Order: sequence, then structure tokens, then C-alpha cells
Amino acid sequence: MGGKIFHTPMDSFHKAAFECAITRRNFLRLAGLTGTSSALLGFSPLIAQQILQRRKVVVVTFGGGARDEETFAPQGQENIPNLITHLIPQSTFFTQVVNRGILGHYVATASLATGVYERFDNFARVAPQNPTIFEYFRKDLQRPAEDAWVIAPSNGFNRIGQSDGSLFASGYGAEVVLPKELLASAVQQRLPHAGKLDFVLQDNYEDPFVTPPAANVSAQLDRVQRLLRLSVDDFIAHASTLSSADELSFFVMQQVMRQFAPSLLWITLHDMDVAHTGAYSLYLDAIRRTDRLCAQIWQEIESNPEYKGRTTLAILPDFGRDSDLDGAGNGFQHHRTGDALSRTTWMMALGPGIRQNVTIDRQIQSLDLVPTIGAWLGAGTPQARGQRIQEIL
Amino acid sequence: MDPRSLAPENFAGYRPQARAFAEKHIAILRSLPLPLLSILIAQIIDYDLRFPAEQRTLDRQFDTLSRMDTTSRAALLDPFFQIELSPELLSLDWLHQPHVFNEHLSAALWSTHQIDAYREAGQAYEARLASALVGDVPSTPRFVIVLVGSGVSQMNHVLFRNLRPHGVLFTALDPKGAHEALFTLLRDRAAKEPEPYAHWYIEGGKPASELVTNPVTVLSYEALAPIAFNELNLMHRFATTPHTQSGISAEDIQSFMASLGPKELGLAALPGDATLHAFQASILTNGAGTQIFSTTFVQWTAREALRRAQPITLLARFSPRQVMASMNTMLHRDPLTQEKDVEGSLIDADMGAYYTWLNLTRLAGSEQSRFLVWFEDQRIALAIAPTLPRGTTSSSQLTMRQLLESMADASHLSSVS
Repeated sequence: MGGKIFHTPMDSFHKAAFECAITRRNFLRLAGLTGTSSALLGFSPLIAQQILQRRKVVVVTFGGGARDEETFAPQGQENIPNLITHLIPQSTFFTQVVNRGILGHYVATASLATGVYERFDNFARVAPQNPTIFEYFRKDLQRPAEDAWVIAPSNGFNRIGQSDGSLFASGYGAEVVLPKELLASAVQQRLPHAGKLDFVLQDNYEDPFVTPPAANVSAQLDRVQRLLRLSVDDFIAHASTLSSADELSFFVMQQVMRQFAPSLLWITLHDMDVAHTGAYSLYLDAIRRTDRLCAQIWQEIESNPEYKGRTTLAILPDFGRDSDLDGAGNGFQHHRTGDALSRTTWMMALGPGIRQNVTIDRQIQSLDLVPTIGAWLGAGTPQARGQRIQEIL
Repeated sequence: MDPRSLAPENFAGYRPQARAFAEKHIAILRSLPLPLLSILIAQIIDYDLRFPAEQRTLDRQFDTLSRMDTTSRAALLDPFFQIELSPELLSLDWLHQPHVFNEHLSAALWSTHQIDAYREAGQAYEARLASALVGDVPSTPRFVIVLVGSGVSQMNHVLFRNLRPHGVLFTALDPKGAHEALFTLLRDRAAKEPEPYAHWYIEGGKPASELVTNPVTVLSYEALAPIAFNELNLMHRFATTPHTQSGISAEDIQSFMASLGPKELGLAALPGDATLHAFQASILTNGAGTQIFSTTFVQWTAREALRRAQPITLLARFSPRQVMASMNTMLHRDPLTQEKDVEGSLIDADMGAYYTWLNLTRLAGSEQSRFLVWFEDQRIALAIAPTLPRGTTSSSQLTMRQLLESMADASHLSSVS
């Protein structure tokens, strides 16, 4: 009872969020990496859109925020060499992306995908109420199911591809693939491999006793062969060479890109949520792995003829983690206080038509992603609450 | 139940001190909005099991509320009254199961987007009652010691990076006799001020029991790991027992976890009184990762000991934790017999030391507090004290005893500068 009895309040939210942005900007400036833009000067969105015929969009979210201390602050830069040296110089970088919704990974990612702060129980296996960007895209542009994909952790994300149908006609959702669920089904058939794959099957760090309902094994194995064009043995054999669930997700993403080349592809990485165990070293390891995977995703885009030169990549954490200085939390371990730093994160966008080496300090909301993707792809997003991000149109 | 209709008999099921406290302050309790009242009831209901420092803080808090004039109190409480609660939430038994109620309250505040308003109300409340909530300034300055890096001989990690701006980094400490000097300090301080729960030794491995004596409160991961194993087994059994067709939710498991007390966990077999057992249970049921990683156990226990017991001496020693495996594997294996991640544990402990210092600075009288972290068996230590400069490095040869003297008395500064 000494000290805090409540979570600390939001009184200094704007100040802290701004300081957070300044930290990122200062680092980037000190590193000589980015130019600046505080106003919408020199934009030519029409030209950009003319250039980008048959545009594709890849979205990478982190379902387990990384704080500035471990990333963009001077002492954190050693953890993100690929973001710093390879991706940021090619990107427009937003220093203040605020999430005012519920700070749970599934509900927050669903909010990113709908452009509306969803309000459901983070641990419930329910669909978002509001239409997703995948539905807007497929319906407006009359695209087949294989043109929009989601690759996600299995802890609740199986319903993220399509809204619950109450506000939007059903049947336009994304193909959702949960790599761990696929692998778990494969392992179930080939039990001797199970022990080696524990790391790759790691799912939920917040509520490890909540196990998802058992998947239909035969249906999942059919998906492995139909979607990934891999035999079960080959799938397991490759998974055995990996060291984390996110590496498995990236592998599945590669297969999807090569087999289907979807125009809209969304992947959520989750390894860094190991922070919930309180082991700082494991959290840092996961950040470094995520940094490497982001670079590999961009390399995959650039080396795949279906994607090269026509793909916009957006990378953003779903939200941050608690500040060391908020006594109501326990620093990096959780995202429970709702303090400014846990609500404030960043975003980078890169690809043709996106200005390189530019930093934007104005505050945007995570909800702004959906209208912006809609603008990139030419789909209306009428029920999304956010605003188009003009700087990257 | 409407708080306004609270009557003394409603507290009949409370323990004696809790019942007496509630009856004494029943007029205040009746006047409080439920989103605040449930937080305070959760503290009152465990009053008998609280540390003396916590009891004093709760007493001061209610004394302050009772002395506040009606207008001021109404203004302070009004934001809490504006929080809208659902009929389902209101139907829960906040009087006898406040912890369960508060879990549901928290979920409701987030899902209804009232969490920010609640935090704002909480800030105003804490600011108004700051003098009551801050705790006691100790007559003897607090002294916190953290040992990190057990078993590590070489490293590629820059130690104490977050702490360096606040104190002196010693790079030529003689490790010989250092343990003895530190435990002697702990024993001497405990002997000088033998208040209950005023001196703590928190150990990530096997405790050096021969080096401590009463009244030092000792908690070790080695002793509590079997209890944690009991807890994980109970939770696993609960999670895999069919309850409803819809299965077990995260809230169900959290509620079950919150219901586990010393008796269910088997803590009665360990040394200590009911207060200590309740604290141990809270470490294992409220702390994430404390069950599986000894490093997390030490960090979280030190945090909670400082926050709740407000000790004047605390020695926390990090030991290597088990190597990472899948959560499913770790929940079902004995952490004490696994291979250890020695280097990772040093990084965990380095951050843990920083957090321990941060938690020390949140206590009353922190400007006079002393903090020391030592890379165990090595020549590197960092000390923070009002007697020492900040952001400096000393390469002077010195013993641990000399270092401790320099922290106690500025006159020893010349020997380390």
C-alpha cells in the first residue's frame, strides 16, 4: 500500500507521448538517418497513385510492443540494426502513433484491422464487430479470397480475418492462417517430432493455461498441403530447423507469397511478448529476432517478382509496454498501466511512392492505418474511424 | 449491495482486526463510490495479514478521509461516482470477494473505455492523500543491496548502464570478504532495529542461512519452487477440468488463481507467520513468471517487499534461472534441476537491480537511501548514496567494507575518489 494504489493517470499523456516521439526523432537525427517533415510539403498523391498500378500491401504488426529503451533510444539501437540501417533510410517514419483502445494483443490488432477501437474481451475467440480492411478490399475491388491473407499467432486470432457480420455482408474475409495450429496438427500426426518443436509451438505468454479448442487435425493437414504445397513431413522438417514461433510465421508467409501472391498480406509477430515472463534477456532476444525478420520480409518482397517494385510495407507495434517510471506497472514486463508510453508507438512505411528518409512527428492514431491502406488499394473504408495519413499517400 | 446500506454485521466474516477497522470507519465506507470502495475493501479484508507499514498507511488514509470537509471529499470522489458499472458487475460480491470484483472491474473499465477516466480519478485521489500514502520516513536510512551475476566469469554485457548516472561505478573492488561484509551489514542493522519485517534477504537460489539471523525475513526461490509447482498443478487441473461448454476463460483462471491462499498452496509447512505466508502466496499468484524463473522471482519479490513492507534493509541475490523452453514444458518441470542460462540471468538481474533501485526511490526518505549492486565475486560494483557523487567511476582499490563505509559516511569519500 505504500506508494500507488491506482494505476497512474493520463494527466501527462501528451507530454510523455511527445517526449517519446522526440526520443525517436533525436536518435534518428543523431544517427544521420532521416530528413524531416513537419508539414505536408511537396506531396503529390495523385502521381504516387498513378505509379502504383497493381499495388500490393504488406502489413507487419508486433503483438507485443517494444519500448524505446530497447529499440530507438541510444542504448537500444544495438537491438534493431536492420530497422536502423536498412529499413528506416528507405521509409517515412512516424514517431507518434497512439493507441487509445484496449491494450490486449488480439483486440488491439483487430482494432488495427478495422480502424475502430474494438471493445471485446481480448481473450475471447470472437470476430471483430466492425468490418475489416480485408472485407473492404475484397468487396470493393471484387477480389477472390486468396488475395487477402492474415498470418497470425493462434491465441485468439483465428477470427480476425472477417467481422461478425452484423455491420457488413459476410463472405469477404481474409484467409487466416495460424502457423502454430497447422504445425500442432502436423505434430499430432507425427508425435516423435513433438519435443523438438516446443519452441516453435509457443503460443501465449499471458495466460498459458488457456488452451485454444483443438483444431480439426485432418482439416489442418489438408490446409498444409493445399495452401502451402508442402507435405506434412516437409513442413515438420522445416519447422524443426526454426527456433521460434515467429520464424515459423515468416516461413508460412513466404509460402503464401510464393503460392498466391496476395495483394493484401498481414502478419503479426508475437515472440517479444515473452517479456511477460519477466526475463529481460529473452525479451531482448525476441526484439533482435523480430528486427531480423522484418529485414527478411522486405528482402522477400524485393526478391519476389510479384511484389518487387509495387509493394508498400507498413511496420508497427500494436502498442507499447509500460514505462519503467510508472510505479503501477513493472516496466517492460507488461502493458497494463495504460500510461502514455504503453499507448504510444511508431510506424514506418516504405515502398514505391513513399518518400524515403523522412520523419513525421505529428501524432497519428493506430486507427489511421485502415483508411490509409484503403487509399493505397483503392478501397473505401466508410466505417473506419481513423483518418488517411496524407504523408504516405 | 449498495455501499450506503453497509452495516457492522456485514463485516462479521472478516478477521478481527479487519472487522474492527471496517466498523470504525463504516461512515467513510458508506460514502465511497464502489470503484474506489472495492479497492479499499480489498486492502481492509486482509488487514490482519498486512505488514505493519501497510496497516499504518491504511490507518492514515482513512484518518485523512475522515478529516476532510464534505465539499472537498465530494469533489475528490465525484469522478469515481461518474464511472458507470454494469448490472452484472454490481451483482458481484465486492464485500467478501473484492479481488474477484476488482478483476472484473478492471476488465470493464478497459472494455467500456473508462480506464482513462478512472486513472485520472485515481491520480487526483493519490495526489490529495499523498502525505498519508507515502509511508514512514525511517529513522535509519534504508539500505538495499543487490547481488548479480552468480556463476558468470566473463560477459559481453555493459553492466549497470541505467544506474551509472546516479552513483559511482567501482571497478577495482576486492571481492575477498565481500559476502561476509554485506551479510554482516544486514545482521548488524537487524540487530540494531529489530522491528518485524524491517530487514529482508531475498535469494534466487539456495539461501545462505548461516549468514542471517532473526529478525531478518528470508525468502528464497529454492524454498518456494515446490509451492510454485503445487500452484501450477492446481491451475492445470482447474484449466483441464470441464466446467462449462464454452470452456475456461482467462478471467476464470485469474479468479481461480486469486482464490489460492497459503493453505491451498501448502505454505503452512514453511517457516513464518500468517503475514509472511500471505505475502509468499501473493508473490506466486500475482507475479507473472515468478513461478518459473528465479530471476523474475527475486525482482518481483524485492519490488513487493519494498512497496508493501517498506523495509529499512534489503539484500536481494539473483541466481541463474533455468533455460528457456516452451511455456508448456516449463509449467510441468522442476525448475531447480534444469540447465541454467547463466549469461541471460545476468542480463535479467542487471535490469532487476535497476528496477529495485527505482522501487527504493519511491519510498519516503529515499533521498537518504543507500543502494549497492555488486557483480558477485568480481571487481565491479555500483553504489548510490547521498555521500557519493553521481555519474562517476572509481578505479581505486578498496574492499567491500571500505565501500560500505564510504556509503555511510562522507568522510570516507577520500578513500574512494
